[in-house]
Amino acid sequence: MSISVWLKGVLRKRLDEDDFDDEIRAHLAIAADEKQSDGADPHSAQLQSLKEFGNVTLTTEAARRVWTPWWIDALHDQVSDVRYALRALARNPGFALAVIGVLTLGIGLNAAVFTMLKGMAFTPIAGVPRAAQLAVIYGETSTGRDVRVSYPDYQYLRDHDQSFSGLFGTSPFKPNLGRGRTGRQVWAEMVTGNYFQILGVRAQRGRTLLPSDEIAPGRHPVIVISDGLWRRDFGAAPDIVGKTVEVNNYPLTIVGVVESTFHGTTVVYDVELFVPVMMAPQLGFGSQQTSAGILSDRRAAVFFPQGFLRPGVTRAAAAARIDALSAGLASDRPLSDVSQRLRVVPFWRSPGGAPLVLLPTLTVLSAMGLLVLMIACGNIAGLVLVRGVSRRGEIAVRQALGATRTRVVRLLIVENLVLAVPGALLGVVLARQGIPVLVGYAEGLAAPERVFFNVGVDSLVIGFAALVACASAFAFGFVPALQSTRVDLVSVINADASPRGAARGRLRAGLVVAQVAVSLLLLVGAGLATRSVEAARSAYPGFDPSHVTAIALDVQQNGYDEARGRAFYRHLLDGARADAGVESATLAAYTPLGFLDTPARRVAIEGYEPRRGDDLSFMWNSVASDYFRTLHIPVIAGREFEDRDDETAAPVVVVNQTLAQRFWGGAPNAIGKRVRTGGGDGDWRTVIGVVADVKYARINELPHPYLYLPFMQAYRSSMTLHTRGSAPLVTTLVDQARARVAALDRDLPILRAKPMVDTMRGAMMLFDLTATMLFIFGAAGMGLAAMGTYGLVSYTVKQSTHEIGIRMALGASGLSVVRGFLGRGLQLGAIGAVIGVVGALAVARLLTSVLFGVSATDGISFARALALVLGVVVVATVVPAWRAARTNPLSALRHH
Amino acid sequence: MTLHSSRPDARTDLLHGTLDMLILRTLQWGPQHGYAIGQTIRAQSSDVLQVEAGSLYPALQRLAKKGWVTAKWSQTEANQRAKFYRLTPEGKKQLLREESRWDELVNAIGRVMKAALAPGTEE
Repeated sequence: MSISVWLKGVLRKRLDEDDFDDEIRAHLAIAADEKQSDGADPHSAQLQSLKEFGNVTLTTEAARRVWTPWWIDALHDQVSDVRYALRALARNPGFALAVIGVLTLGIGLNAAVFTMLKGMAFTPIAGVPRAAQLAVIYGETSTGRDVRVSYPDYQYLRDHDQSFSGLFGTSPFKPNLGRGRTGRQVWAEMVTGNYFQILGVRAQRGRTLLPSDEIAPGRHPVIVISDGLWRRDFGAAPDIVGKTVEVNNYPLTIVGVVESTFHGTTVVYDVELFVPVMMAPQLGFGSQQTSAGILSDRRAAVFFPQGFLRPGVTRAAAAARIDALSAGLASDRPLSDVSQRLRVVPFWRSPGGAPLVLLPTLTVLSAMGLLVLMIACGNIAGLVLVRGVSRRGEIAVRQALGATRTRVVRLLIVENLVLAVPGALLGVVLARQGIPVLVGYAEGLAAPERVFFNVGVDSLVIGFAALVACASAFAFGFVPALQSTRVDLVSVINADASPRGAARGRLRAGLVVAQVAVSLLLLVGAGLATRSVEAARSAYPGFDPSHVTAIALDVQQNGYDEARGRAFYRHLLDGARADAGVESATLAAYTPLGFLDTPARRVAIEGYEPRRGDDLSFMWNSVASDYFRTLHIPVIAGREFEDRDDETAAPVVVVNQTLAQRFWGGAPNAIGKRVRTGGGDGDWRTVIGVVADVKYARINELPHPYLYLPFMQAYRSSMTLHTRGSAPLVTTLVDQARARVAALDRDLPILRAKPMVDTMRGAMMLFDLTATMLFIFGAAGMGLAAMGTYGLVSYTVKQSTHEIGIRMALGASGLSVVRGFLGRGLQLGAIGAVIGVVGALAVARLLTSVLFGVSATDGISFARALALVLGVVVVATVVPAWRAARTNPLSALRHH
Repeated sequence: MTLHSSRPDARTDLLHGTLDMLILRTLQWGPQHGYAIGQTIRAQSSDVLQVEAGSLYPALQRLAKKGWVTAKWSQTEANQRAKFYRLTPEGKKQLLREESRWDELVNAIGRVMKAALAPGTEE
C-alpha cells in the first residue's frame, strides 16, 4: 500500500461536519420545543437552550478530535510551531544564514571525523557486514612485539578451539602479477580455504576458494581475483573463469571473481588476488629460505587467525580458552622461542587492523571536531540570546495571553531545530564532498600503491549528524530560551529597558570567555601540529637522501633464478658506477623511512645468554657495497661492505651503533664479535663495521638495534638501486639509471624510479595529514570564535548606545569610550585565555603521540595562539566601539 | 460527580470511560437521540449527573468510531428530525465488560474506604 493511498484512508475517516452541525441544530430545536411546551416564549426558549448547550465551537472541535489520530494531533501543534518558526526566521534571514553556516561547518567536520572512525571501528572491512565483531588472535612477546601464528599452530587452534564459529587465516603479501614488461606488483592475500565462507563473501562469477582448496601442499593452483582487477586488467571479460594468470611466475587458474564490495581484509591496501595457503611454497611466500617449509615450520610466522565468536561467548572467555590451548601447545611441542602469549582482540585493535598508526591522529581529530562544535554552539547561543532579547516583547505578550513557559520554551527549541536540520543536512553534504578530497590526497601520496579506504557516508553517519544537530540545537537553544522566557511581564510591556540585564550580561560574558578559551585550545593544537611538521621536515634522518635515486626492481618478474639474478645485479652496479656523473652506486632491499616496519630476524649474539623474555628479533637490510658511502651514513668503527664480501668470502655483518652499544658496550669493542641471524641454522657472521643509527621506518621512532648483511651473502630478487651523483637535477640521474636497467634487460619492469626524497613521503604522510586537518580545524574554530566574539561585543556596544551618548554629551572623547570597551573586552579575553592555556596544558599530552620534535608545552605555539586570540578580541571590540563612538551623541540619546 | 468542564480535552480516561458506559447503558432500552440521552442520564441520576452537550456529542462520536453505536436520522414522537443512536452487538458486549469493570472498581473503592476506617477505630 502506497503512502498516499494510506494517507487518504486516514483523512477520509473524519468527522462529517455538515451532519454534526445538523445534529446540533436538531438538539437545539428539541430543547427549545421542550422549553416552549413548559411555557416559555419562543425567543427566550431558544436563548435558553443555546445557553444550556454551551460552546458549540468547542464541542465541534472536540468531536473533530475524536476522529483525528493522536499523532496528527501532536503533529498539528508541531507543524504550527515549525511554520511560525519559519516565518520568524524568514523575517531575519541574516541570522538564519549565519546559524546554518556555522552549524554546517561544525557538523560537517564532526561527520567527516566520525566517518573515518566509523570506517575503522564499525565497518573495518568493506563488504563484510559484521566485520566489527571479527575477533583476531595474535601472539605478543614479553617485549610487546606482535607475532603472527605459524600454519601448524593455526591448524592446532582451528581444530581444538570451541569459542569461535570458525577460524580462518590470512596473510598479506605483494607478489608480481604477470611477467616481463607487463608485470607489476599487486597486493594479495594468502588465505585458508574457509576464508570466504567465514567472512560470508560470495563470488559474483565462478566460485570463491573453499576448504577443498586446502588439502595438500602445492596441489591447488587456483586463484580468486578482485572485481577491480577483473575490470581493469580483463575488461570485465565474461569468460574470465578458467583463464590463467602468473603470480610470481607460477601459473594459477582463475576460479572466481569476488563481490565488488570486497577489498580484502588488509586495511588501507586494495587487495586484488586471493591465493590458497597451500600454494605458499610455490609462490615463494616469505623469503626464499623459509618458503619451502612454511606449511610445516612452527617458527614461520604466517597468520593472525581470526573469526567470529560463537553466540554467547565473550571475548574474555575466548581469550582464556585460547590461552589454555596455547599453553597446551607449548608443553606438547615446546618451541625454543621467546615466551609469547596469544591474545584475542577485536579486529580494529589487532596488529593487522592498521589503525594503530591512525588511532592517535583520529583521537586528536575527534577531540578537535568536538571543540569546533562547542565553539559553533557557543556562537549560536550568543546569536539566539541576542535575538531572544529583541523578542522579549513578543514572548511577554504570549505569556500574558496565557501561554505556559514550557509552551514558549518548546516554541523556541523548535525554532532552533528548524535551523539545526538544514545545518545537519549541509554538514553531511560537506563531509560527503570533503572525504573524497582527503582520500584522493592520501591515494596520491600512496601511488603507485593501490589503497582503499572504507569511508562511505552511510545512514550511520547521517544518524550521527542528526544526533549532533539535535544535541547542539538543545545546547545552544535551551539556556537562552529559558533566559528569554524568564521575563517580568509588567516591566517588558511597560518598555522598561533593563530587567535582569545584569544576568543576561553575565551569560554573554561567559560565552565570550568560553569561546576565547576553546579557540585558544584549538589554535595551540594547530600550532603544535604545524611546528611538528616543520620539525619533522627539517629533521636529519641520519642519512642524506638528496642527489640520490631509488630505482626498485624485482628480477623474479622476468623469471630470473638466483644465479641469473646475482649476475644481473652485479652488471647493473658495474654499469651504474661507470655512468658519467655517478659518484657511487649501491643496492638495498629496503629503503629507509618507508613508514612501515620491515621484517625482523631472530638474532643470536655469541657469548650473550638471552634472559627469559629477551626479544632478540631485529630489523635488517641486505645491502651491496658502497651503501653507507652512497647514503652518507657515517661508519663509526671498522669498514663498510666491499665487493670482496661475496658468497665465497667469510660471512660478515655490519651493525648499528645501538646494537653495538647494547651487547658490547660500544662501537670499538664490536669489531670481530660474531652474531648469527635466521634462527639456529644460520652461519656465524663476524662484525666488520659499526655504523651510525638512522631513522629506519618513521622519523619519530626510537633508536633500535639494526643489522646489515652483504647482498651477495643475502640474495633477494627484489632490490632498490641507489645512485648518488653531482648532477643539479636528480631526475637526470633517475633517467640515467632507468636507461641502465633497460640496457641490461628491456623486458624487466621498473617498479619505481624516483629521487630518494620522494620515497620518503609516506613517512611524512601522517604528519602532513594530521597537520592539515588540525590546521583546518584550528582555522575554522578561530573564524567561528572571532565571529561570535565580534557579534556579542558589538551587541553589547549597541545596547550601550544610550550610555555612550550620555558620556560623550558630558564631554568624553571617542577615544576614551573606545578605551572603556576595549578594557572590558580584554578583561574577558584575558580570563578566557587563562582558562584556555590551563586547558591546553592539561590536554596537550593527548597530542604527544602525533607530535615530533616539539614538546606538547611548546612556548612558541602557545605564544602564537595567545597573540592571535587576543588580537581577534581587540579587533572585535575596537571596531564596533569605534563605530559607536563616532555616532552623534544627540542621535544616540534621541534613539532611546 | 458532574461532567461540567470548560475544556473538553482535559478529562481523564476514567471519566471518558464512565460517560461512555452511561451512554451505552441508556441506549440499552432502545435507540435514542443525543438530547434524550442527556435528559435520561440526568433524570435517572436524580439530577446529580448533568451531562453537557460539549461532552456528550464528542462521546457519541467516540462510540461511533469504535463501532459500539450506529446513528440514523429519523423522526421523534413530536415529529422532529433527530439523529438516533442504537447499540450494536459489539456495543452490548462492551457494556457488559464495562459493567463488570465498574462493579469491581466500586467494590475495590468500597473496601479501601472501609479499611481506611479500621486504624482509627482501634484507638
